[in-house]
Amino acid sequence: MKLERITIENFRQYYGRQRLAFSRDHQRNVTVIHGVNGAGKTSLFLAINWCLYGEGVSSVGELISKEAASRAQDGETVSTSVELAFLHNDERYLVSRRLTGTKQSDSSVLVNSGEDFTMMRTSQDGQAKRVNNPIGAMNAILPSNVRTYFLFDGEKIDNFAKPEAGDEVRYAIYNVLKLEVLTRGRKHLQDVAAEYRRELKSISTGELRDLIEQEEKARADKESALAQKENLVREIESVRRKTADIDHRLSEMQNASALQQQRERIERELAQRQSEMRQLVSDIRETATSGFTIVAWTAIERALTVLDEKREKGEIPSSIRQQFLQDLIDRMECICGRSFEPDGPEHRRLLELMHNTVPGSLEDDVLATNASLRALDEQRQSLRSDLDKGMRRRVELRERMKALDEELDDVSRQLEGSPQEEISKLEMQRRDFQADIDSYLLQQGSLDSRIETLTKDISQLEKQIERAKKDKNKQRLLARKAALAQRSADAIDEMYQAFADDMRRRIEAKTGEIFKQLIWKSSHFQNIRLGPDYNLQVIDRYDRPARPELSAGERQVLSLSFVTAMSRISEGKAPLVMDTPFGRLSSYHRSSITEHLPELTEQLVLFVTDEELRDQARENLEPRIGAEYRLHFNRETSCTTILKGNDNDRD
Amino acid sequence: MTETELSRSDRVNIDDAVMQIYEDLTKDTNIEQSPFKTYKDVFMFAACLGYRNGSRRQLSSGKKQTIRREVFTENDFSLLKAIAISATRDVDILLHLGDILTIAEEYAHAGIQDLKVHLLGEHGHPLWNLVDLINSTYRRNK
Repeated sequence: MKLERITIENFRQYYGRQRLAFSRDHQRNVTVIHGVNGAGKTSLFLAINWCLYGEGVSSVGELISKEAASRAQDGETVSTSVELAFLHNDERYLVSRRLTGTKQSDSSVLVNSGEDFTMMRTSQDGQAKRVNNPIGAMNAILPSNVRTYFLFDGEKIDNFAKPEAGDEVRYAIYNVLKLEVLTRGRKHLQDVAAEYRRELKSISTGELRDLIEQEEKARADKESALAQKENLVREIESVRRKTADIDHRLSEMQNASALQQQRERIERELAQRQSEMRQLVSDIRETATSGFTIVAWTAIERALTVLDEKREKGEIPSSIRQQFLQDLIDRMECICGRSFEPDGPEHRRLLELMHNTVPGSLEDDVLATNASLRALDEQRQSLRSDLDKGMRRRVELRERMKALDEELDDVSRQLEGSPQEEISKLEMQRRDFQADIDSYLLQQGSLDSRIETLTKDISQLEKQIERAKKDKNKQRLLARKAALAQRSADAIDEMYQAFADDMRRRIEAKTGEIFKQLIWKSSHFQNIRLGPDYNLQVIDRYDRPARPELSAGERQVLSLSFVTAMSRISEGKAPLVMDTPFGRLSSYHRSSITEHLPELTEQLVLFVTDEELRDQARENLEPRIGAEYRLHFNRETSCTTILKGNDNDRD
Repeated sequence: MTETELSRSDRVNIDDAVMQIYEDLTKDTNIEQSPFKTYKDVFMFAACLGYRNGSRRQLSSGKKQTIRREVFTENDFSLLKAIAISATRDVDILLHLGDILTIAEEYAHAGIQDLKVHLLGEHGHPLWNLVDLINSTYRRNK
């Protein structure tokens, strides 16, 4: 950034419109603005600040020139503006800030809220364009938080060299060297990592292993139940074979064969009856589950009544269709062939019928519903009688099966009571086998129900495991993301530390270099230290901090060295604008600074009193001065005029 | 067209809250234990029983199972129409299939509880309890 020109209008004591061009010459890069105390140096310095950032002024109401205000009529608009032209990155910028107000009857000015800030950019092809976001653009050129290091108030010059200035020095480095970007990146990544960790916590943990264990156990249980069942089936089979063996042996024994044959007959019939019973139950089930027709009978009756009522009222002709009526009306002829007169009683009756008839589709529906409901009545009767018959047959079958059971029991008892010991023994064995089969069947039933339950449990567990696995994957991913974000944040932190340390050392070295150039007793001071605590220290030849012994002037030179070093390191190429910089320096320091400062900056603008710049200091600066002005304050009008040159005699 | 008809599908809804009863009455391979072959049969019985007992209840706004319309026979529809006509005493209801279905759903939603009490809540197998229920209704009708 290189300042080119300032145009100031009705700003404080600057009445009217006045201009000042800064020197941009490479060799003669110094612009000196002279003014006695109160002439308006600080106002002009503030004008630059205000124009660029709208800052640096405590009371907006005092900005508008009192002279301009007093010359205005009541209710007339008065305004102040500052325009700055500067070069930045080979492009030319024009910025202006304007404040307007209205003169009140009591001579005060009511300031309108809001300042008008405009920025135009002229690219190298000469085209000027309005910049849409002037505040953002200005911050990109020279951030407002670093401006105080370049637009430099001499009253505060020793700030950086005060013992407690560590924070200020750190902020200065932090802001000017744009370390803020890194800090923001680190903060953002840390937030992201924390967010992932929170999400991770919300996902349930430790559940998967339990579920897998449960599933394994259920599967093992099911396997064992299936194996037991297989054993049982084999056992039942074997017992049945043994029973069949006994039956065979009995049928071949003379005193048992008749009874055994009787038993086989009874068992055959029993099997038949059982099968008949199965069929019967299935039939009854068919009939019973359609039994809702019987349950709904009141609904059917009521619906039929409603339909009948409608028909009796003539609203639903049971057989006469709408089309048929229409045909009769079209022909004006009765079905018996007799014609009738328009508006005659026949015609009127037919029209009335037409009118009361429900729409075609409903009529069809009503007829169909009516017919099927009447059919349901028949269905209901047959359903009822089928059910009755079935239930009666069931009772008969049960009786018969009970009788057959008793017969079987009787046969068995006769065989058991046989005087022939072998027969009796065999039958007793057979009974035992029958009892075994019963108990095996019971066990089988219990196993079946256990297997069914386990199968259900396993499929349930499989689903739960699937879900838990998904959660686990999500967990792993989140953990990786969190770790990655945290590592990145840590890496940035390291980079930041390294970068900050590097910057600190470079500034330390540069400050030392400049300080040695500027200071008179350079032989006495060995070096400058900018420690990790960011305190600026001068090291004496005994390698001990020498600051307590520093004079006020030396502290100012140290500050100035630091600011200049920052400006060199930052590569921001900002101009150094200094308001009364030498007022508190000894003539030795002034002389030294004026000799070296022009070399250290791109552009130097100095607001000085005559006392600050004379003798050797003036002489040193002379070859570098490219532009010179004097601020002339008129005591009668209380207004300042900017005059070119350094003619002391115009007062 | 009524509003109900515009907004509802022609599938028949069963509230999820009572699905367990439908399950219990159909799932077992022993037909004496689970006499009904299909959800549709249970629904028809529940609707008729609900109407008969004068119990009708709106379905909740929660999840539902549906039965496709094609599963119902012509006879089933005639019965549902009869219920709708006698419930509204209005023949015009025949023009509004959606209303007929909604009425049936509401009777079935209440009737299924009656069915549960009669079939599952008493001693003995549900099939024979069902036969008893039919017989006792028939006797009372006469």
